[in-house]
Amino acid sequence: MRIAVCAPQVLFERGGTEILAESLAEQLRRREHEVEEIRLPFKWYPGAAALREALQWRLLDLDQTHSNPVDLVIATKFPSYAIRHPNKVVWLVHQFRQAYELDRAEFGQFGEDPFDRATVRAVHRVDQRTLAEARRLFAISRNVADRLESSTGLHADVLPPPPQQLAYRPPQDGEYFLSVGRLDRAKRVGLLLEAAALDKGLELVVAGEGPDRERLERLSTEHGLDGRVTFAGRVSDEELADLYARCIAVFYAPFDEDFGLVPYEAFLSEKPVVTTRDAGGPLEVVVDRQNGLVCEPAPAGVAEACAWLAAHPDEARAWGRSGKLVAERITWDTVVDRLLAA
Amino acid sequence: MKVAYFSPLPPERSGIADYSALLLPALSERIDVKVAKRAKTKPPRGTDVALYHVGNNPEAHAWIVDALRRRPGLVVLHDFVLHHLVAGMTLGRGDVGGYLEAMQRDAGVVGRLLAHGVADQLLPPIWEERAADFPLTSVVLDGADGVICHSRYVEGKLREYGYAGPVRVVPMPAWPSVELDDVPQHEGRSPVIGCFGYLNRAKRIPELLEAFERLRARFPDALLVLGGSTAPDLKLDEAVQEGVLRLEHLDEPTLWRNLAACDVVVSLRSPTMGETSGMVVRALSLGKPLAVSNVGWFSELPESVAIKVPVDEWEAVTLAGVLEQLASDDALRQRMGDAARVAARTEHDIGHVANLYVKALEEIGGGSNVRNAVVKDVARAAHDVGIDQNDPELSEIAARAREVGLGN
Repeated sequence: MRIAVCAPQVLFERGGTEILAESLAEQLRRREHEVEEIRLPFKWYPGAAALREALQWRLLDLDQTHSNPVDLVIATKFPSYAIRHPNKVVWLVHQFRQAYELDRAEFGQFGEDPFDRATVRAVHRVDQRTLAEARRLFAISRNVADRLESSTGLHADVLPPPPQQLAYRPPQDGEYFLSVGRLDRAKRVGLLLEAAALDKGLELVVAGEGPDRERLERLSTEHGLDGRVTFAGRVSDEELADLYARCIAVFYAPFDEDFGLVPYEAFLSEKPVVTTRDAGGPLEVVVDRQNGLVCEPAPAGVAEACAWLAAHPDEARAWGRSGKLVAERITWDTVVDRLLAA
Repeated sequence: MKVAYFSPLPPERSGIADYSALLLPALSERIDVKVAKRAKTKPPRGTDVALYHVGNNPEAHAWIVDALRRRPGLVVLHDFVLHHLVAGMTLGRGDVGGYLEAMQRDAGVVGRLLAHGVADQLLPPIWEERAADFPLTSVVLDGADGVICHSRYVEGKLREYGYAGPVRVVPMPAWPSVELDDVPQHEGRSPVIGCFGYLNRAKRIPELLEAFERLRARFPDALLVLGGSTAPDLKLDEAVQEGVLRLEHLDEPTLWRNLAACDVVVSLRSPTMGETSGMVVRALSLGKPLAVSNVGWFSELPESVAIKVPVDEWEAVTLAGVLEQLASDDALRQRMGDAARVAARTEHDIGHVANLYVKALEEIGGGSNVRNAVVKDVARAAHDVGIDQNDPELSEIAARAREVGLGN
């Protein structure tokens, strides 16, 4: 088949969606499909920019190329699913969250003036129309599927993506707690830093880049964490696998996250995960006291969970092994079969 | 977002005042609403968007249209035909020119000549017999950034009329369940048929009386309750027959009690000005089976809650058959009553209706600015690559924009 995998690209950043789209394209190629990744730069501000981007996707003509049909389009995330195609399947990473669950909340983008309110409603209309025309809808997690259903009434089947194929290493005795992911406020890495401020025994490694880095480094200095926190920045796949192998546990507690590949990567490294009760998608795989700890979204709760794991290495190892069994069940064969059978 | 709210309100006696009394608390829970004082045509300070409730009665709504002319906004069109309103706002104020102009806009030179005839009292007033032919709705639509109406019927009428702005259909809200005591007991009378509201020819009262007479041939104990004041030309007192109970000037609690005492509620209408019926919605709240005319908004009621009677030469006979069917089939009445309560709790639920209002206000309030912002970006890019406004590529872009909801 000739397949186009569509995803927006936040310039000079590489996060979960980019990895998912690349991995999907790669897996499809391995199965001898002709695949193109279609990327358009995504800038969602100011004002109604997100709508302009949706229109840009809509204006693409992917019906055929050189008179050969494009057999299937797989769109992933707002606004790539605005694309027109008679055989469009959406594997939904997430909608434009600023117009939904993040609206009028701490991480929201839009205010109360008529322009902003109308922009939010216009985003809803884009979703309603362009998702409804897809031949089949999948969502990367129950959390994303539920949000879609409650906001548009559309049903999506849950199809979790497999974690990226790192060269995972045998687990070593842990030295620190690891945070992995893009540094923005919604990922709440600050919670881990504040936990370390409460418990002087915690050492941290923060891997990733993003707009919140400066604030996090300032916070770290204010709390006197210098020497106990390492900001590793963007790391290679090899370095990441090494960081996973040498941590005590992985901290991953964004607010109401869509899915989160990080817990799966932690599990494949046989490491338990510390998350919070309001983390959303991660709660679909992190089970309290089976493969990690689920605590209150407050520094004290995170500090207590980390301290417990540091003090109980046998349990931490056992929970990591338990998590690995969960992560190994998610395979690309399943994903590709379901997307192509749609 | 702060909304300036223009509407008649109780103690003013009108269906739209009752409507707003029901809607306002639910709307205020969801959005910042400032109610405009009666006759004040300037929007309350600090408001971003204005919402205007417009009906056909000039005494109740002329000031609201005056306000709309000062500042465009979202119009809630409770009647599609506004001839009576416009006549009141023009001829009623000695503004003959305004009436001529409005008629000319609707019907060209012929309209202007007819208006001259009316103004010079050479022709009978158009609003008495032929208002539907000259709705004069443009007087309001000129200032409308968008329209909320209550039926697909009115939405269709607006499009036929040439209105190209955004239109949202928002159902009539139902009253929440009401606790009633002292419901009248019509001992020995069954079935009890009720018809309430301002009783005029458009409510098909003569046809209802004829149908009821036929019903009494088979159900001699039947009772017809006619509740409400009467139009002067109806001569209802002469027409009232045995088995008919006349109740005039029902206050709200008395109205509810009498509605509750009915087995069936009848709400006929023709001609329709695109209006809805507060009585029908009250009957839904009480779980009463309905017999309605198969016109306008009434024809859009679900079959499960209302039996629809065509307006034709067999109207009275058909209605009699419907009433007989309802009178003799307890299970049918029960099913329709249950469905009515469900409709009141879902489609007509006040919270649901208020959410749709907020959605319409947010979509339309800043919608044109949002569309313009997007279109401006696209137009600039099109211009930069040499596409001018007559090129077909622009139509393509416009079509794609509509597909993603960036049209009206």
